[in-house]
Amino acid sequence: MTDLRLKLEGLAAKEGRLSDTPDFSLGAVRQNIWDWDRVVKGSHLTNCWYQTACNYNIYVKDGVVLREEQAANYPPQNDPLAPDFNPRGCQKGSCYVHRIYDPTRIKYPMKRVGERGQGKWKRISWDEALTEVADAIIDTATKEGPSAIVQGGGTRVMNIGSEGTGPTAFFVGLGAPLSNVTADNGDDHQGVAITLGKVIVGDSADNWFYSDMILIWGGNPAYTNIPNHHFIAEARYNGTKVVTISPDYSPSAVHADQWVPVNIGSDAALALSMSQVIIKEKLFKEDFVREQTDLPLLVVESTGRFLREKDFKAGGREDTFYFWDLSSGKLTEAPRKSLALNGTIPALQGSYKVETPQGSVTVKPFMEILSAHLDRNYTPEQAGQITGLSSRMIEQLAREVATAKGVVNISTANWGKCYHGDLIERAILMVFALCGHMGRKGATFSAFPMMGLDTSLGGLEKRGDQIILSAAGGDPRFAQWREEGFTDEMILYEYVHQAFSSGGVTPTSLMYYIHGGILDLCAKHPEWDPDIKRPIKEYVREAFDKKWQFLSPGLDKEPKVMFALGGNFLRRARCTNTLIETFLPKLRLLVSIDWRWNSSALYADLVLPACSWYEKTSTFLMGMPVQPFVHMVNQATEPLYDSMGEWKMFCLLARKVEERASERGIPSYKDANGVEHRFAGLEEKVTFGGLYSEDDEEGIARDAFLNASNVEQIDWEEFKERGIARYTGVGTGMRSIGTTCDIVPGEPVVPLTWHTERKDPYPTLTRRIQFLIDHELFRELGEDLPVHKDPPPAGGDYPLKLTGGHARWSIHSDQVDETLLLQLQRGGPLMFMSAKDALSREIRDGDTVEVSNDVASFQVQAGVSPAVRPGQVIIYHAWENYQFEGWRHFKSVMASPMNPVELAGDYFQIRPITMSNYPGFSDRGTRVEVRRAGA
Amino acid sequence: MAEAKKQIAFVVDLNKCMGCHTCSIACKTLWTNDKGMDHMWWMKVNTMPGRGYPRDWETMGGGYDGAGNLNLGKQPKTEDYGKAMEFNYEEVFFGGGNGKRAHLAPRESPGWGPNWDEDIASGEYPNTYFFYMPRLCNHCSSPACAQACPYGAIQKREEDGVVFIADQEKCESCPEPLCMKGCPYKEIYRNPVRNVAQKCNGCLPRMEREVAPACVRQCPGRCIWVGFLDDPDSPVHKLVEEWKVALPLHSEFGTKPNVFYIPPLSPPRLNNEGDIDATQPRLPVEYLRSLFGPEVDGVLSRLKGEIEKKRKKEESKIMDVLIAARWQELLGPFVKDPSEAR
Repeated sequence: MTDLRLKLEGLAAKEGRLSDTPDFSLGAVRQNIWDWDRVVKGSHLTNCWYQTACNYNIYVKDGVVLREEQAANYPPQNDPLAPDFNPRGCQKGSCYVHRIYDPTRIKYPMKRVGERGQGKWKRISWDEALTEVADAIIDTATKEGPSAIVQGGGTRVMNIGSEGTGPTAFFVGLGAPLSNVTADNGDDHQGVAITLGKVIVGDSADNWFYSDMILIWGGNPAYTNIPNHHFIAEARYNGTKVVTISPDYSPSAVHADQWVPVNIGSDAALALSMSQVIIKEKLFKEDFVREQTDLPLLVVESTGRFLREKDFKAGGREDTFYFWDLSSGKLTEAPRKSLALNGTIPALQGSYKVETPQGSVTVKPFMEILSAHLDRNYTPEQAGQITGLSSRMIEQLAREVATAKGVVNISTANWGKCYHGDLIERAILMVFALCGHMGRKGATFSAFPMMGLDTSLGGLEKRGDQIILSAAGGDPRFAQWREEGFTDEMILYEYVHQAFSSGGVTPTSLMYYIHGGILDLCAKHPEWDPDIKRPIKEYVREAFDKKWQFLSPGLDKEPKVMFALGGNFLRRARCTNTLIETFLPKLRLLVSIDWRWNSSALYADLVLPACSWYEKTSTFLMGMPVQPFVHMVNQATEPLYDSMGEWKMFCLLARKVEERASERGIPSYKDANGVEHRFAGLEEKVTFGGLYSEDDEEGIARDAFLNASNVEQIDWEEFKERGIARYTGVGTGMRSIGTTCDIVPGEPVVPLTWHTERKDPYPTLTRRIQFLIDHELFRELGEDLPVHKDPPPAGGDYPLKLTGGHARWSIHSDQVDETLLLQLQRGGPLMFMSAKDALSREIRDGDTVEVSNDVASFQVQAGVSPAVRPGQVIIYHAWENYQFEGWRHFKSVMASPMNPVELAGDYFQIRPITMSNYPGFSDRGTRVEVRRAGA
Repeated sequence: MAEAKKQIAFVVDLNKCMGCHTCSIACKTLWTNDKGMDHMWWMKVNTMPGRGYPRDWETMGGGYDGAGNLNLGKQPKTEDYGKAMEFNYEEVFFGGGNGKRAHLAPRESPGWGPNWDEDIASGEYPNTYFFYMPRLCNHCSSPACAQACPYGAIQKREEDGVVFIADQEKCESCPEPLCMKGCPYKEIYRNPVRNVAQKCNGCLPRMEREVAPACVRQCPGRCIWVGFLDDPDSPVHKLVEEWKVALPLHSEFGTKPNVFYIPPLSPPRLNNEGDIDATQPRLPVEYLRSLFGPEVDGVLSRLKGEIEKKRKKEESKIMDVLIAARWQELLGPFVKDPSEAR
């Protein structure tokens, strides 16, 4: 295999053993399988999300990584009957070594000498490269301000040790905005954010083993949960019923006990109809609903809004709500500091009169209004029309879910990629809440799983307990918050929101909509969502006028310097060509930092070589509750070629910025708020006051681990030796605390028990799981009550709906062009289409087809399979732009119209915070037509 | 050929395999990454039903006839494996100036590959079906490859029953690889550079050090068991001999294979109204019989019955073994960590 016979320049000098032979062959080095110098623990510093991370043994000989194999040293769970977490790992992690030595590796700093994207490069020195970046930063900070220096970040920056620490500290030091890419990825969970007031809610995979039913709904764990998939199969053998709900007979339907073939984007109708059956047949858990949800809260019949204190008195509270207590027969204020009902029995039915200064008004428990709404619109017969399912199947499913002792969901990151994904999530959550499948072992709802080391490194990712402490000491709002019963979780979210409203963090999706021409494109095509009542730009203007949304750089400015790092924004973005044509010309400098050439690098002005994941020491700052272990990576070999770790890179860059500013006689610059910043001292800020030198990447990894309060207390050397340690708590980091439960090592992670058991209020306006959203924008759009809406014809009036999902073969684009893995596919992009649609278009399996809509077109090989629902075409994610003929990327057709409801703000839980409540991209159900290429 | 005193065997659970190919990669990176081995995947996973790898192997013949006489079938051609893919990375990344923008693609159209029909289902929507089947050398008790070799270069080890190429010199001098024609599973590969036959060695060098074969140990789906068939305590023995829920693939080939499969369950079909049609399984039973023989009906109902017991919170030893709460249960006697086995 040619890719394994490469020149490894520079290695001889560094290791002094292996010669720089042009005929280096990994196969030859591997000849004796027992011949190695050392074995170190390591992993893959990427964001595999649900799958993150896996402990590997990395075998090293003569300065070369030979191969890797799972360490499989996860300790067993306490229950002797429950499956353990071994061996973990997947096909991608098991050949990452090939990526280190393959031709996609960026070897040297490279400067573009032709047009952007033309492929003409000149090798330059690190000093030249850093000087060029530093000068662009100085120019931009002084001319346009630091907000014009942005990250086209990827999720590796947020999640992963040293890759994120350097750039994050650099951006914070500079006063430039950090990026939040969640809704840009489409990984947002807007419906969960609206309903639960948070998105970070996740269980562990062994929890599935204790359920009666697993609902694979909006996910494809056979592809995206490879190391955890065995828990599904083993739960099934343990008697758990596995139900997969998906339009296509997906790889995750293969091992299900039931497959529910829904129409694309009709899942809200299914869930609402199940709710209708559950309520009508009185199968819901009354106690849970009364205590945990907004269903007993009284709603004013004439307005459809919750009854509030301000309805009774001038200056009354906007966030005090009421229920009708059946035990006293009185109107009763709903408790706000706790969910505990203290002997009251909130009514779920009936109609009551209350006296207000305006006279007598009729109020009803929301449940009463909801059930009438469901009876009117979502009977199984009605939903059958929308979903394509038989009414009997809907009824049966509803009854089985309601009568099961425990149900869990596996949803991964699908719904954020649907235009009306928020509605789908609100509806599915309703099923879980009605049945009380939350906060119990084997009965949980999971959304965005994340579990972070509660540590002070990484810029804004401060220890939550330190934030709380400092708030207690110095923030005048603190006493008020406590007085109002704010939990730590709620206080932390206040600070996160503040980071957004002050411009410290900016959502990249909104940046691309506004500065990248995508908003202009959807404004030109109001027919893509005929349901919207006003021009989309009017909604955007309103959102900024009312300070519902924030963007840095703002509407009147343009980004000038962009760092593409920790991800691959030009591969990831929807409307790719629009972005390339509109966004890139605005940039003075686009710098790409990665260990491999990717689409963003190919369009960049400067390309900087990062070292590979086996060439640095790092602790995973972010993990997942799915497997509650923290992982680390030991440096296995020296960085190849001219590559270096991001930590070192940003230390050197900070030094260079200071140097150049001093040489050029430019001491300072002003930010958007008029605050003056000095260039001098930037390196000190980046290095935490000189605490870590540019070569002390391990120091950062070590302290990240040792300073964390929510992980097993073992020393650093032992951690390095084991490669893993158990989480002992969710910690107080804002990206973990939402799971709100205690963690007992060896026991499953069961999210939300602080609410269900400890009765902590939810971080919502009503302090409960909230299904009625009486926000003005939601009311205007008819989404205050949970409803189903058909996916709009995004991309134009074409017959086929394009869907997708994370791939089996690559984590994002990290392995998407890997020779060995492509060998196990068809060597390039594939689009699955149904046998029926292929037949009517005279397309055969293996044909090259042209896919097009109003926005763009591309060519791809067709895979014809009757597993695909007629009317559907599927392309799994992460193909690089340059894997398509003429670099016509498949994501270019994804029109991704902005959904105005995602602009809402100023409604307690509906305010931009990390990972939610700002407009995001959608691609599921994009309309296209397909024909045989050349036909 | 001498009978093995002990027989190594594998059980592959098709209800656990998710088609991730970690086994394929584990094998590839350990054994088949040298010259002339690009097209070899001693371990691979195929979407079934499908043409598989090498293409249409099931119809190529080999094995024995009813009377026990060796059948020589076809030898797979290069195109049945698919051409090894080599990519134009340099042209894509640094190709500026030569006019048209090149895109990354195999230099030569591969035509086929080890997993070409991945996720291509059979049947008619919504009653479509497929499943994933890992395949490796069966280390047969009557290995047709060894029988076919005129030089006796392929042998079956007495101590563990592993079928291996014992005499490289004889193999190198062979003008016509009859072993490839003899093996009905097409698990013998030809190395065109070294001009020898090569095949799965059962990870013998690992097993000798009490380390499980790479495909078994690295399977994140925990779907492959290894052990000695004659060890009564081994899960492999229990599943194959005692409970008889693991079946050989194409036993009609007559080679007495030692890889056994837990046959796949499938979700129920839907009738014209879209309701569950429990009258027949989604996976056509004739198809499963064609792979695993008539015993498959009984095994599938047994599996369903055992799952039902678990639903009722009753004991099921079969399910407990298949769940394998402790991962090491899959590894049989080969429980050592390879990093500590030198």
